[in-house]
Amino acid sequence: MNSSFLLVAVLLPFLAGIILFPLKLNTYKAVCVYTGAVTLSTSLLVWALILFGDRTAFPLFRFANGLLFTLNFDSLGRFFAGIIATLWPLTVLYAFDYMKKEPRQKTFFAFFTMAYGVTLGISMAGNLFSMYCFYELLTLTTAPLVIHHLDRRSVRATRTYFVFSLGGAAFGFASMIFLIANGVDGNFTFGGILTAYPYGKPVVTEIFYFLGFLGFGVKAAIFPLHHWLPKASVAPTPVTALLHAVAVVKSGVFAVMRLTYYSYGPELLRGTWVKPTVMIIAVFTLFYGAARAVKEPHWKRRLAYSTVANLSYILFGVTMMTSEGLSAGLLHMAFHAEIKILAFFCAGAVLQYTGREYVYELDGLGRRMKITFACFLIAALALVGIPPFSGFVSKWSLLSAAAQSGDLLAYIGAGVLLIAALLTAIYMFTSLRRAYFPDQNSDFASLESVREASPMMTVPMMILALGILLTGVFASPIAAAANAIAAGM
Amino acid sequence: MNILILSLVFLPMIGALPAYFSKNRLQKFCCFFFAAVSLGISAALLFSENMTVELPEICSLGLRFELDGFRKVYAVVISFAWLMTFLLSPEYFAHHGDPSRYYFFNLLTLGATLGVFLAADLSTAFIFFEIMSFTSFTWVIHEETDGAVRAANTYLAVAVIGGLVALMGLFLLHHELGTTEISGLYALAQKSPNKPTLFAAGCCILFGFGAKAGMFPLHIWLPKAHPVAPAPASALLSGVLTKSGIWGILAISANLFREDPAWGTLILALGTVTMVLGALLALFSVDLKRTLACSSMSQIGFILVGIGCLCLLGEENALAARGALLHMMNHSIFKTVLFACAGIVYMNAHTLDLNELRGFGRKKPLLRICFLSGALGIGGIPLFSGYVSKTLLHEGIVETAHAFGGAFLLHLVEWLFLISGGMTLAYMTKLFVALFVDRNPEKQAEGEEKPAYAKFPAILSILCPAVLIPVLGACPGFTMDRIADLGTDFFHPGELAHAVSYFSLENLKGALISLMIGAVLYFGLIRCLLMKEGRYLDRWNKKIDLEDILYRPLILRWLPGIFGAIASVFGENRVTGPFCRACFRFISSAGALFGENKATEPAAKAVFRTGTIATRGVGDLLDASVFALRKTAFRDSPPPSDEKLAEHYYFRIGDRIDRLAVKSGKERKGGHHYARLFVRVHTTLLNTFRAITGNLSFALLMLIAAIVLVFLYIFVVRN
Repeated sequence: MNSSFLLVAVLLPFLAGIILFPLKLNTYKAVCVYTGAVTLSTSLLVWALILFGDRTAFPLFRFANGLLFTLNFDSLGRFFAGIIATLWPLTVLYAFDYMKKEPRQKTFFAFFTMAYGVTLGISMAGNLFSMYCFYELLTLTTAPLVIHHLDRRSVRATRTYFVFSLGGAAFGFASMIFLIANGVDGNFTFGGILTAYPYGKPVVTEIFYFLGFLGFGVKAAIFPLHHWLPKASVAPTPVTALLHAVAVVKSGVFAVMRLTYYSYGPELLRGTWVKPTVMIIAVFTLFYGAARAVKEPHWKRRLAYSTVANLSYILFGVTMMTSEGLSAGLLHMAFHAEIKILAFFCAGAVLQYTGREYVYELDGLGRRMKITFACFLIAALALVGIPPFSGFVSKWSLLSAAAQSGDLLAYIGAGVLLIAALLTAIYMFTSLRRAYFPDQNSDFASLESVREASPMMTVPMMILALGILLTGVFASPIAAAANAIAAGM
Repeated sequence: MNILILSLVFLPMIGALPAYFSKNRLQKFCCFFFAAVSLGISAALLFSENMTVELPEICSLGLRFELDGFRKVYAVVISFAWLMTFLLSPEYFAHHGDPSRYYFFNLLTLGATLGVFLAADLSTAFIFFEIMSFTSFTWVIHEETDGAVRAANTYLAVAVIGGLVALMGLFLLHHELGTTEISGLYALAQKSPNKPTLFAAGCCILFGFGAKAGMFPLHIWLPKAHPVAPAPASALLSGVLTKSGIWGILAISANLFREDPAWGTLILALGTVTMVLGALLALFSVDLKRTLACSSMSQIGFILVGIGCLCLLGEENALAARGALLHMMNHSIFKTVLFACAGIVYMNAHTLDLNELRGFGRKKPLLRICFLSGALGIGGIPLFSGYVSKTLLHEGIVETAHAFGGAFLLHLVEWLFLISGGMTLAYMTKLFVALFVDRNPEKQAEGEEKPAYAKFPAILSILCPAVLIPVLGACPGFTMDRIADLGTDFFHPGELAHAVSYFSLENLKGALISLMIGAVLYFGLIRCLLMKEGRYLDRWNKKIDLEDILYRPLILRWLPGIFGAIASVFGENRVTGPFCRACFRFISSAGALFGENKATEPAAKAVFRTGTIATRGVGDLLDASVFALRKTAFRDSPPPSDEKLAEHYYFRIGDRIDRLAVKSGKERKGGHHYARLFVRVHTTLLNTFRAITGNLSFALLMLIAAIVLVFLYIFVVRN
């Protein structure tokens, strides 16, 4: 397929989202049908592009001073787009039921669809400048989704989201300027575009890489800059599930991958002070996130802290700066996406059907909402890394990548990862234990009215649960794809 | 043939689904059918060649299964034990509500357990081991009483921590040797230069599998989980699941650490402690199933002692290896009988307290014979199968002591072995006498009136394994030796120097010594000290519990105290929050450490109080200064002056509409005036807008700062 279809894939949902504002659709159903059709056709198009698309760049236009805006769908982009395009239709299906009782549905779906186009844009961007444009646009299109409820909490959360995201992007901007000034157009090439240290001094390059890591790391919720993510869990669940467990945060990780492996190049960074520094940040964050999740009584916020930890699992792989590390990170990126989205779906279904949002309110719900909690059980097992679910595969590859890198810090990181897995078991299983085996003196009368979520919600959940099992058992195609990317193919 | 091995593992797992969704008779049939098919397949495989099957790339590491003599025998034992418990289950669960969940997870566990035993490499074993741990968790929690929930939590915690540590070990091993395939470990380990790492890996794996086996000091879950689980499940937990832990320990001991004296000493020491401690706990217990559970722990210790000798003896380890294998198999059978008997007792009497159960089994000859067969077997009485394996283990220890020049410690182990054997006899006698000889002062007559205490399938479930015990034990040369011969592929023992004559005087002497020690213990200890006026007394101090003393405080109080302190140091974004909370955490964790006993409690409390007040004071002071700063120097800029006008304006419009509404008689109900509504909407909009613009400007400020930084660097460095 011609590369010009890339532009179609980006613009179709983006424009369709904008058109939804003035469009006169009288019923909620019409909005649903419209959104569903747009999302599904985009996903099909993206998958067609992944499988049959050309690997040529598609330059769009040039700004002054040679800033090139270009789309290029390489293997890494395809991997990320594949995750997005698979999970988006499922989330939209889930959102149809979830948003039934919420206000301002049309606005919600408009921005939601626009965000799809922008995320695809990030995955298809051919150089730093175009990725940066989409990256900023993603902040702008997703902020209205966070503020959706328009109450005090969501306004505050949005404010924090803005401050962190835009402030972080500023750092990323600095790094981008540095690269564009020293590499031709900043087009992504595996292994980096810098051939030698510019200005003769390594320290300049290192500082700018570090700035870029921090900047793009904001969306990946690395430690001191993670604060927006747990706060943003006030948004409606489809947003928390898809954007704040997959699309937005994985865009951050994706940008760090682009920065590390496709712009600065691991060769240049290996052996400098910046590599251990970023790895320490990642290792610390993964421990910190897990420890905070254990302490957090609010269910969705607990899952958000868990996301903080898991994003750093990926970054831990990425910052090893070896091809095994990148491959393991990619694997965890794919698997964590499906696991965490499922966990959020379950939390959302409980929130919508029972109004309970704290872990200590879950007593006995496992008996009433059987499918929901069975799915959450699978998500929990996979997140802890119990075979044969998918989380085990990615954790195993992370551990072996750490061992192969032969770095003392990576060994320590592997140890911390196992402790974090223990903490994961604690925070996931305590909520499950409450749901399935309530304390004897809990309030059973209020359980009578609880009923199972509708098929619109449970079907996406069951598909995801099955997906977790299948990708765990038959992980080799995905692992092969990740290995191919990490080998530079 | 390959498909047979795979179906052995996966067929029960698939069968779990129909078992869950069917009802009543169909459900029972389903379970029985799948267990029977497993037994059929494993029996058929007894006569097949050794082979390996590989499923590449499943779970990314690939699954590899192997069939050798030891695995064939154990597949039969597992399927047999499962079939027996399925015979008992329908009647046991008849009054327990819906048993679907139990059957579902039971079949899953059957597949997973077979998967562990048939695994050709440790990573495959680990995958099934983890599945098994989680599916068997539902057995422990099945009754859902408070005790069961607590025991199940302990079980889960041990399983999760053990699993993670084992994973660490596997990963070290995989990194060091490049494979976890069991048969290749020995050759690779010989070449490996990095022995300490291998030993560390071995210890991690030992931790994981030892936790499941009930090895000291990780045995804490065992005496709690077995009594609360339903009896058929306890039979499996004790008879089969603990053996999967033993299997893992064996896999590394007989391959990775073959002929490694340091490893052998470690296993021998842990095994001895487990053996003695378990027997001691069983001796003091007054609960039928708890006694049996502690007895399991003790017998696991016997097996571990055998494994320890196996490593210590090097080339001449044939006796110890055969003893360990046979004792594993025997113990599976004994515990199936004994727990099934306990299940039948519980089904009728609804209690496990020995005092309540006194005289329960009088006039129930079949139950008595079956229980007696299990008891004599586990006690190691000649002509019963336990005698054969214990004799082999004993000879193994004697040989080890001989090989090491009669070291004192090894003689001590030998004596502890004999004493534990005596204790086994003593507590089994205690159970037997309580159930079948004593008379119940209150309800003896009432108990004897009911002749039908179990239906035919349940009777079958105790009878079949009970018959096996004397059959296997009576002619060991014909049965047991052949089974032991099958173990060579897995255990890699040296040549057997001479055939063992089991009933020689030398060997009978060991059994006799144990018998005498048992008699002394029973009459000297149990009848004199642990009984009063015909009642069994619980004289074990409940406070001596490793879980309550060490593990729970460690995991629930000390570690969160320390980690919580670390996490809170980097906590929320308030200015004083991190500092205050850090102090709080530190003090509270210190308080938790010192505040629990009488000596240091007052001092700890005083320190805690003053610390709290001091940190609060500092915190409030800082908060106050921040507040003052925000109100003065860093004050928010005043709202735009036209806001009031605008409000006024909005209010006016709303007011007009309100008046119109009043005039036209369409006033809004409940005092909702349009004027108020308009003003509210307006202020919300205004605030939101201000918040967003304020932060946008902040972001732009950052952007400009960053750009300035960039250009400064470029200019400074370039010029």
